[in-house]
Amino acid sequence: MNSFLASVGYSRWILDTLLILPLVGVLPIVLAPPARARSIALWVTLAELIVSLGLWWGFDAGATGMQFVVTAPWMPQWGINYTVGVDGISLVMVLLTTAIMPLAVLSSFKYIGEREKLYYGFLLVLLTGMLGVFLALDMFLFYVFWEVMLIPMYFIIGIWGGRNRFYAAIKFFIYTMAGSLLMLVAILVMMFQASKTSGTPSFAYDTFLAASPHLGTLAPWLFGAFAIAFAIKVPMFPFHTWLPDAHVEAPTAGSVLLASILLKMGTYGFLRFAVPFFPGVALSPVVTGLVVASAVIGIIYGALVAMVQPDVKKLVAYSSVSHLGFVMLGIWAATLQSVQGALMIMIGHGLSTGSLFLLIGMLYERRHTRDLASFGGLARVIPIFSLVLVVTALASIGLPGLNGFVGEFLVLLGSFARHPWATGIAATGVIFAAVYLLWALQRLIFNPLDKSENAHLPDLDVRELWVVLPLVAGMVWLGLYPQPVLDRMDSAAKRYVELAQPGFERPSTPAASPDSEQAR
Amino acid sequence: MTQIDLTTPVGTTVALLPEVALGLAVLVVLVVVSWRHERRDDSRLAGWLAIASLLLSGLALAWLWGHSPDEPGLGQMVALDSFRYVSSGLLLALSAGSVLVSMGYLERERLVAPEYYVLLLLAVIGMLFMVNAQDLIVLFLGLETMSISVYVLAGFDRGSTFSAEAALKYFLIGAFASGFLLYGIALVFGAAGSTNLYVVGAQFGQGNLSLMGKLGLGFLIIGFGFKVAAVPFQMWAPDVYDGAPTPVTGFMATAVKAAAFTAFARVLFSGFQASAVEWRPVLFVVATASMALGNLAALVQKNLKRMLAYSSVAHAGYLLAALVPGSSLGISAMTFYLLGYGITSLAAFALVGALGRHGERDLTLADVAGLAQARPWMAAGLALCMLSLLGFPGTIGFMGKWYILSALVVSRHAALAVIVVLASLVSAGYYLPVITAMYMRPARAPLVYHDRQLPGTARVAVAISVALVLVLGVWPSLALSQSDRAAASLPQSIDTAAGQ
Repeated sequence: MNSFLASVGYSRWILDTLLILPLVGVLPIVLAPPARARSIALWVTLAELIVSLGLWWGFDAGATGMQFVVTAPWMPQWGINYTVGVDGISLVMVLLTTAIMPLAVLSSFKYIGEREKLYYGFLLVLLTGMLGVFLALDMFLFYVFWEVMLIPMYFIIGIWGGRNRFYAAIKFFIYTMAGSLLMLVAILVMMFQASKTSGTPSFAYDTFLAASPHLGTLAPWLFGAFAIAFAIKVPMFPFHTWLPDAHVEAPTAGSVLLASILLKMGTYGFLRFAVPFFPGVALSPVVTGLVVASAVIGIIYGALVAMVQPDVKKLVAYSSVSHLGFVMLGIWAATLQSVQGALMIMIGHGLSTGSLFLLIGMLYERRHTRDLASFGGLARVIPIFSLVLVVTALASIGLPGLNGFVGEFLVLLGSFARHPWATGIAATGVIFAAVYLLWALQRLIFNPLDKSENAHLPDLDVRELWVVLPLVAGMVWLGLYPQPVLDRMDSAAKRYVELAQPGFERPSTPAASPDSEQAR
Repeated sequence: MTQIDLTTPVGTTVALLPEVALGLAVLVVLVVVSWRHERRDDSRLAGWLAIASLLLSGLALAWLWGHSPDEPGLGQMVALDSFRYVSSGLLLALSAGSVLVSMGYLERERLVAPEYYVLLLLAVIGMLFMVNAQDLIVLFLGLETMSISVYVLAGFDRGSTFSAEAALKYFLIGAFASGFLLYGIALVFGAAGSTNLYVVGAQFGQGNLSLMGKLGLGFLIIGFGFKVAAVPFQMWAPDVYDGAPTPVTGFMATAVKAAAFTAFARVLFSGFQASAVEWRPVLFVVATASMALGNLAALVQKNLKRMLAYSSVAHAGYLLAALVPGSSLGISAMTFYLLGYGITSLAAFALVGALGRHGERDLTLADVAGLAQARPWMAAGLALCMLSLLGFPGTIGFMGKWYILSALVVSRHAALAVIVVLASLVSAGYYLPVITAMYMRPARAPLVYHDRQLPGTARVAVAISVALVLVLGVWPSLALSQSDRAAASLPQSIDTAAGQ
């Protein structure tokens, strides 16, 4: 496989192709009749998935630093370059994105009945935006992708969303923008500080990393600006209020992408930028106390609120707040196990919560309600659906043998030494998760079949099976044999743990792997 | 490259070639329209003649640019520097866009009077003099030529009382502002012994601004504050923008504003660069107040045209913020922002003009609901304009704001940078609902948009503007080199050593 990839010069064009292909795919969607839009979108996202799979084999798990790096001048007078690359962390996020995307498209076939060209066009633009966030190694480029991604999601919620969609769309937009605008100023200030030592302006990630120990008294302010932008996106308690609105109002594919990918951008931002840039501030006792407390509150509060939701979609939305709390705890404990665990939850949550939203969407297409009280006894009517739902819910709860367990176990294990009390409280969140999900399962599929509307629902058809079975397969694979994924994330997680030591000496020159392309 | 000798009549004529060419062309247009001014075709002919005149002036400008040395701070009445050329080029382009937008609009609103174009061209001559003036008297003459023409243009819709109100209000306040400006010039003359900016700059070169000089500077700032509609001198703007015919509003928001800002920047930099300590806090406060009040007031507007009027006050605040550092980077940012704001507003006002009727005074969000499905291209254009005004990445508005923010951060004005981004955040509260209405809400009734179309000429102007909004939003380098050159040709402030 590797020799084949090398023979086609994979490392030179892969990342550019991943970013451009969806945008190119918009063109046939614009030109073709509306009825063809969905199949074009499906083919484009499948092609994207196949292209991205090469990364899995082409990636050198042993090497440290960024791989497949490509650089081209963009606005040279301001020191802005187009620079992209992947390490273990971005690799798994990119693959998660490209894997979820075809399923999101496929799940929209029936749900989206109007203005299809616009819808699928926006999905493809969103794909480029999401990948760009994970790939960008230039702070300006990162900011542009971070913001540009808002527009398609804003339209997807606002046009194809539920009854309260205008409010949810604008709230989503303004919350995210509020955080990121301050980050914009912080990026500029950091660039200015960095250019004072180097003499030339540069927005390169490595320049920022090298300059970060010399920020002095500015560091807390800059960290605050970055942290708020990412905390809103995660979302961390108490910045989470946009999330239930956006999740509930968005169409199924929108909720899936929000939960599986967009939330991970916040935690990715902490892992890639906020903590490595400012380890002294981030891991100082005060900030650590605040973040860990907020993470633990998020875990418990999210679970408790999820427990009492009558709307099953809202229940899943709040469960995200809870799960992402574990990720934040793992990131802040900054041990190898806790970081690996946080990354595993990021992937696992992407699969299981994505799958839950897809299944709820399918149920909604059948019954046009998401009210838990109007269901019951579905296991007898639609057994395949119920089986998939049970597996997914168990994965989300963290049953050993499925993906959720690996991540949560590693986080709790890695964090216990650093924050025993917080970890202890967080562990009870696992129990709450079991309570709210099993309770929901009971009301959905097990209780007696006492509503006549539920008696004749059709079970999953072939298309719907294609949507959920890949996710179930992923959950089982990650639960039973996560080693290949852990191997690939290993060096990046180690590097994060090193960078998170306040005294760690930063390289003044970017550390590049031998086979990476520095220029083209 | 030949030296232009400004002491001879021939040399002066050559140095003023774009203005002279436009002046002669205006006379031709005036003669033509005095014979042919009754039918629709006559109006259209005058419009095309106006385009030709602007083109002619542009060619003269290009020739002059190519053949004259770039001499910053030449002690003459007329500047021969890149700042003048870049600004003049921008003004000519924005004016040509305004003419294109006006052509179909005037016919639709039955304002067939070809004198419109004569007035517009006269205003452009005034603007060109404003941006080339190295002498406060030349500046004042240019400003008055422009203002008087625009007073008449604002009241051009004779049947509308609101248009008349706009003209009268603009005239009264404008006269007031001119008074301040003239008084300021007199005081500066008293303090420095000259109205030449170069001499004034040399006179106050040590930052030794006398009390009379300070007063003069203060009056100048007030005068320009009125012209650019900065808080607390903004109260005329909403009514005037609202009442004037929409292409005139677009012209005022783009070209008139650009001319006033350019002249203001030259006065501050050529005449008072050493006294930055005096004017910086004033501009800081005015800029902050403009951003705050402009954005908050725009938030509660129901009418789109009025919303854009208040948003233009907010944008005056962003532009003033760019002047606060008193650095060359700030001037370059201001010039670039003027380009971005200019082309975006031109397209936005053209689209608003096409969507409304009878002066567009009652065009609300409900009137653009569902536009995306009936008129996808118009909706896409207006949506892009809103995103550009909001400063969203991928549009020129973002690059402009980014540039202003860098200028502020480099000169250690991070607090003002934070104010700028917070103000931008507030502006999302009124730009986004326009997009929400167009794309997400259903139309009030079917066929409500069947006659809402951009006329052919306006379509060209809007298409070019929107394309530029996107292209320069992704590759700003194409325009940055020009704005950098322009800024570099102005005298440098003392404390600009920091930065790039």
